[in-house]
Amino acid sequence: MSDIVIQAKNISKMYQLGSIGSGSLRRDMQYWWEREILKKENPNQYINGSNKIDNADMIWALKNVNFELKQGEALGIIGSNGAGKSTLLKVLSRIIKPTEGIVRGRGRISSLLEVGTGFHAELTGRENIFISGHILGMKKTEILAKFDEIVNFSGVEAFIDTPVKRYSSGMYVRLAFAVAAHLEPDILIVDEVLAVGDADFQKKCLGKMNDASNKSGRTIIFVSHNLQAVNNLCTNALWLEKGSVRSIGNTKSVVNEYLSTLHKKSSIKEFSTLNEAPGNDFIRVMYIELIPDLLDPNEVLDIRTSLTVKFRFYNASDNIVISTDLLLFTLAGECIFDIPSKPATYKKGFIEGECKIPGNFLNDGSYSFTLHFAKDTSSELFSYEECLMFDIADYRENSNWYDKWWGYVRPDFPLLLTPTGNNLKSL
Amino acid sequence: MSKKEIDPELLNWEWEIKPETSWWNLNFKELVSYKDLTLQLARKEFLGLYQQTLLGPFWALLQPLLTVITYVIVFNRVIGISTGSVPPFLFNLIGITLWNLFSEMFLQTSKTFSLNIEIFSKVYFPRIIVAISTLWLQLILFSIQLLLLFATYLYFSIIGDLHFDISRIFLIFPIIIITTGIGFGGGLIFSVLTAKYRDLTALIQVVIRLLMFVCPIFYTLSMVPENMQWLVIINPLSSLFEYFRFAFLGTGTLNTFLLMYSAVFMVIIVCFGIMLFNKMSDKLIDIL
Repeated sequence: MSDIVIQAKNISKMYQLGSIGSGSLRRDMQYWWEREILKKENPNQYINGSNKIDNADMIWALKNVNFELKQGEALGIIGSNGAGKSTLLKVLSRIIKPTEGIVRGRGRISSLLEVGTGFHAELTGRENIFISGHILGMKKTEILAKFDEIVNFSGVEAFIDTPVKRYSSGMYVRLAFAVAAHLEPDILIVDEVLAVGDADFQKKCLGKMNDASNKSGRTIIFVSHNLQAVNNLCTNALWLEKGSVRSIGNTKSVVNEYLSTLHKKSSIKEFSTLNEAPGNDFIRVMYIELIPDLLDPNEVLDIRTSLTVKFRFYNASDNIVISTDLLLFTLAGECIFDIPSKPATYKKGFIEGECKIPGNFLNDGSYSFTLHFAKDTSSELFSYEECLMFDIADYRENSNWYDKWWGYVRPDFPLLLTPTGNNLKSL
Repeated sequence: MSKKEIDPELLNWEWEIKPETSWWNLNFKELVSYKDLTLQLARKEFLGLYQQTLLGPFWALLQPLLTVITYVIVFNRVIGISTGSVPPFLFNLIGITLWNLFSEMFLQTSKTFSLNIEIFSKVYFPRIIVAISTLWLQLILFSIQLLLLFATYLYFSIIGDLHFDISRIFLIFPIIIITTGIGFGGGLIFSVLTAKYRDLTALIQVVIRLLMFVCPIFYTLSMVPENMQWLVIINPLSSLFEYFRFAFLGTGTLNTFLLMYSAVFMVIIVCFGIMLFNKMSDKLIDIL
């Protein structure tokens, strides 16, 4: 047990919603006076007739989080947006105080929640290496010893004496990360800083982190949406959901558990009456479902899985020419495809639709469908935006490449290489 | 894993993160371990001040020079305040040098939170490190101005009949320490207040301007009518200006009791400032 280097016990963090504090000096003083000096039980009942710290105004960003890490272990923290991942990292990095609970540990701790913390735009790359290094907790001698290595890693040798404000954003990030990558704390806390830089550089960074935990025996706590990276780098994973630990343990099992629930959510929408159903006087969408082509429902929807979208809508007008478009968007809002149905004349009543999307077509990521209805192929009847959201997990065989795969689509077209000998003249 | 409960207190943890912050948790050992960072931050600010400027660090001299010239014209030539046998230029420069020390120390320390919130919300180090680095930087800038003051003083003592007394001059050191302390402590308090209540930033400007007029900078305490003197005397900075001027010129209203008052005030405000800063610095991150 003695090699435990960090231990979190019942960590909770509460935030008050809305404006924090009363915002006015007078009221805060009155509050303080009545609470601390007059020792009144509930001073705010006095001030505005209602309890200020009302349960409805409180949000527990973290609730009773417990974990322990041994030396050399790497913990990946996963969870959806707003699950409390960043809050947990901030508590562990001593940036914010927990509302309850205690964190204990041993050894030097460094946190990388952002690249380029403390960079000064007016100063040169050289100066900034020192500033950033010091802010991140390096000693002067350490920075001096690693200076050349840092410059090399960043690849900005030629511009090291140029103010960083004249750097391209890529150079800036590379230099900033290079400093961070040469930190040698006992415990390293990393937020999603890897989401920066080009793919080549990302790979370098992940490699560096891998070295840190595997070769140097450093303890790492790592938050990422890149589950592939978590899978590759971390020994343990912690899944946060609404501030609480949903699951903790071996990376593979936690990540799989996380993925399988992720894909169950919102894959069907069904409405029983016309009034409930989204739509307008012309169109009502009664039902839409995404059916992954999986034998075992607990399996994860990944890039190999083919998908079927089924929907049913009510057409309220007689004898009109209707066409339906199924559009697929990325989370960033870029349209990947727009599949139209053949325009045809329909009578008043229910109409069903179905579209099959093959496996090995979409890349991993988060997507949403939009259904669009048009009359006479030109005027819009109704657009049901983001009616289904879903995620596609990554799947790779025999690959050491664990960064995000590029592109929105990932088709399986054969790419063949054929050796043609080494006779130059035959070209 | 066979779970044998070991009392966690038995394991020798090196650090803990707990919900509460004590009022007085200045860990000097920790602060010393951050001395590289302190110096680096001061260096960064200093270099940052003069990047892409024409005159560079000479600005530290130009600013008091221009102020002195304005004061000489306004207070001595236009209004006609008499500085006795002392050249008005030297008289005003003495006051302005000390005033700049106080006002810059106060103003820059009070920006500790508002200027560094981005760093504070991303990385941990004792927050007071930033204030301490500001302290160093302001002392460096002050010493540049002090050099100007000495140069001027020497010039006037050579051409004029100023009586130079080497023993008096050492008085400036305790005065500088007390002035620095009051500016630093007040700055710490206001750094917390302005972080929480933004509108107080405007108040700081007003406070500094008003304070300037109740400090004997361009006048001496003896010039103030008897019935108004209390207004200047209750200001803990006043006696500092009188003593500072005395150190150079050998004239001024000296009152040991008032000097003690300033010193005690300094100790109280520094302690209170550090305590408030320590207590609040963790909470403020949640609000900012």
